Amino acid sequence: MALSGPAAWKSSTVSRPAASDHEAEFARLFEEYSAPIYNYVLRMVADADRAADITQDTFIKAYRKLDTVTEHRSTRSWLYRIATNTAIDDMRRRRMVTPMGDDQPAFANRPDHRPGPEAEVMAATLDERVQRALLTLRPNHRQCLLLSDLDDMSAQQIGEVMGLSYAAVRTLLCRARGEMRRALAAEGFAR
Amino acid sequence: MTGPRERHQPYEELISASLAGDLTADERRRLDSHLDGCQACRATLAAFSDQRRIMGGLRHVAPPRDLGARVRTGIEHGRFASLPWWRRPPVLVAGVGGGLAAVAGALLAIVLLGNPSPPVGEATPTPLATSLASITPSPSASFPSGPTPVPASATPLASPSEPVATPTPAPASPEPDVYLAHTGPFDNRALTVRDGETGEGVAEVDTPPGPPVAAELSPDGQWIAYITRVGDKGTHEVRATRIGEAVASDDPDGPPPIDSPIEVGETITLGESQSNDPFLERLFWASPRGGYLAYTLADVDSGETDVWLFEPSTGEARRLTDTGSAYAGSWIPDGGAGSSRLWVSAASQQPVSYLLELQDDAGGTGEPSDPAEIATATAEGVFQPLLSPNGRFAIYWNGAMDRAGDAWQFASGAQPYLAEHRAESDQAGFTGERPVFSDLTVGREAFTSASITWGPDSDAYAVWDVRWTGTPQSGGGEDPYPDERRVYFGHATDPRRLTRFHAIDRGDIPEASSVVDVKVSPTGEHLVITAARPVGGTLEAPSADLLLIERNTGTEEDQVFEIRSADDGFWWGPAAFDGE
Repeated sequence: MALSGPAAWKSSTVSRPAASDHEAEFARLFEEYSAPIYNYVLRMVADADRAADITQDTFIKAYRKLDTVTEHRSTRSWLYRIATNTAIDDMRRRRMVTPMGDDQPAFANRPDHRPGPEAEVMAATLDERVQRALLTLRPNHRQCLLLSDLDDMSAQQIGEVMGLSYAAVRTLLCRARGEMRRALAAEGFAR
Repeated sequence: MTGPRERHQPYEELISASLAGDLTADERRRLDSHLDGCQACRATLAAFSDQRRIMGGLRHVAPPRDLGARVRTGIEHGRFASLPWWRRPPVLVAGVGGGLAAVAGALLAIVLLGNPSPPVGEATPTPLATSLASITPSPSASFPSGPTPVPASATPLASPSEPVATPTPAPASPEPDVYLAHTGPFDNRALTVRDGETGEGVAEVDTPPGPPVAAELSPDGQWIAYITRVGDKGTHEVRATRIGEAVASDDPDGPPPIDSPIEVGETITLGESQSNDPFLERLFWASPRGGYLAYTLADVDSGETDVWLFEPSTGEARRLTDTGSAYAGSWIPDGGAGSSRLWVSAASQQPVSYLLELQDDAGGTGEPSDPAEIATATAEGVFQPLLSPNGRFAIYWNGAMDRAGDAWQFASGAQPYLAEHRAESDQAGFTGERPVFSDLTVGREAFTSASITWGPDSDAYAVWDVRWTGTPQSGGGEDPYPDERRVYFGHATDPRRLTRFHAIDRGDIPEASSVVDVKVSPTGEHLVITAARPVGGTLEAPSADLLLIERNTGTEEDQVFEIRSADDGFWWGPAAFDGE
């Protein structure tokens, strides 16, 4: 689900056709992918401010390299790859590559001002528990799982994002699911 | 015997893949058939399905309203958001809208017109041949083009009777493969990787917190790892930038190239460390493939040192040791099949080095551990062995260490030793040790540290930034010896080793400058030196010359060429060679 509106890119007016094309293409990418990538990064780093910074940097890098995108690589995978690398760099800079178990999901504690019935509150609680479980995973396991189950990518697409072969992604994803299964069990989820 | 876990494992992969529809028809049939009779795998399928449903149902969070404006601002100012906290502006620019967008559009139009402007405050790079200027008067401003003379002092490694079956190779170039450039206004400097021959940019790096002081190219040329100072904090950052694609070897039987999830042009920060210790400012790429980078980080709070590994294939870094007193040493070139061997040293009153063997297919896993518990060989009294690129020689430190404040340092009787290094499959160690400096008497007065580097030819080496306790052994009226401002240049096959006469000429380095980094070129006769000029004030950014020095002996003066001059106020260097 892509959210548009509040964060939508405002395409600038430039006179030259080439610049307009570039701007228009970038505006389309931002419109379509800024929200999904923000959410992907948010689940990776569990901090709303950092997720915003990383998403911001992702699109700045994408803007600079938009002309280098080749036909054989999907734009979506390319954007996610930049986002993944930027997030990894951020985590490494903060020395939270591994383990990450003590990292608290800061975004989950931010006030949610939207009107919400009790079900919303319960959903937030559920959200926190899943996020805690995610944070116990190794970063590459977390990436793989999020790309698969949050962003609904195929093994082929995940391979493009993570620079891994199809077979390697399947193996990694299985390990990630096994790790997540144990983590969810520790959070009180059945099975 | 196959255990229960191994029996289910292939089917768990199929179950996992089935959730996203990633199964072939044959795999689907095999899985269905197995599920019919396996309760455990049915439970796994149910658990994985639940998990996917839970993940898919995670709350979707709207991005910040000003994200678009922030991206626009970042594009306009060429500035990224995720800066370390010490480099962040006091107020985050947000909500800047369409007015500046036109500026970005104009900038974009300039780029698209094919007339890119250099970064603010930086001169357009000029071809090397025309940018050279000689500090010492010389008949020519170009590099020597003839065959490199064999040093008179060097003992030939090959037997004179050995037949010469191959034509004489082209003389190696003394120019570095790449060098770093820290340029721009003093409060907004950019770091770029430059081609050593043309000076053109190879990669642009996010603005670093300070100038680079060490750099090493990976053997496959894909990566440059470097260390940058962090302002006045007394710390440094270790970083790596990918500057090239993985290229398959010309040898059809050679190992495959090492690819990485990190894109070409991307930079990753590998950690921050306490600084100002030559033993910490070392970067070790595993050779010949460059599968690992080993480095040492000293905790910025406690000062405890541990060895870290960066693996390009995974794009991740991990801590290798957990003792708080470990330092990285060299990799043994071309380690055993499927494994890589690394010397790691433990600082203590009597230092010791351990040889660790890492399985290359471990995928970056492994918890930090005490190297003493997993070593395959031990070398008592050996600290931070630096192996020549071919692994034949080593220069290491020996002496009594003591803990001064946060850091270990050599307290007495310390000096570097040159030795032969042996690395058979079942044992490794050092033989034939002799002091690197043959005309110094080490006792109460001794070294505390020095920086050391090998040349790609595995014969030439250089020692600089020597720190000596007590009175220099200069004798009456002579220059101090050892001299922390001089670079000592020798060859492993020279039986004289290093003496006061092996120092490069005093005039090679500009007056009042200090040597930051030294690389020996593949010729074995040239040094590429980064020399920092003194900083005049708080509003003056550090600057450094990048010099190429052709070493001459006897009464003939060294030839000094400026690869890049710090007259422009910028910091040029360190340089790096890929070892070929």
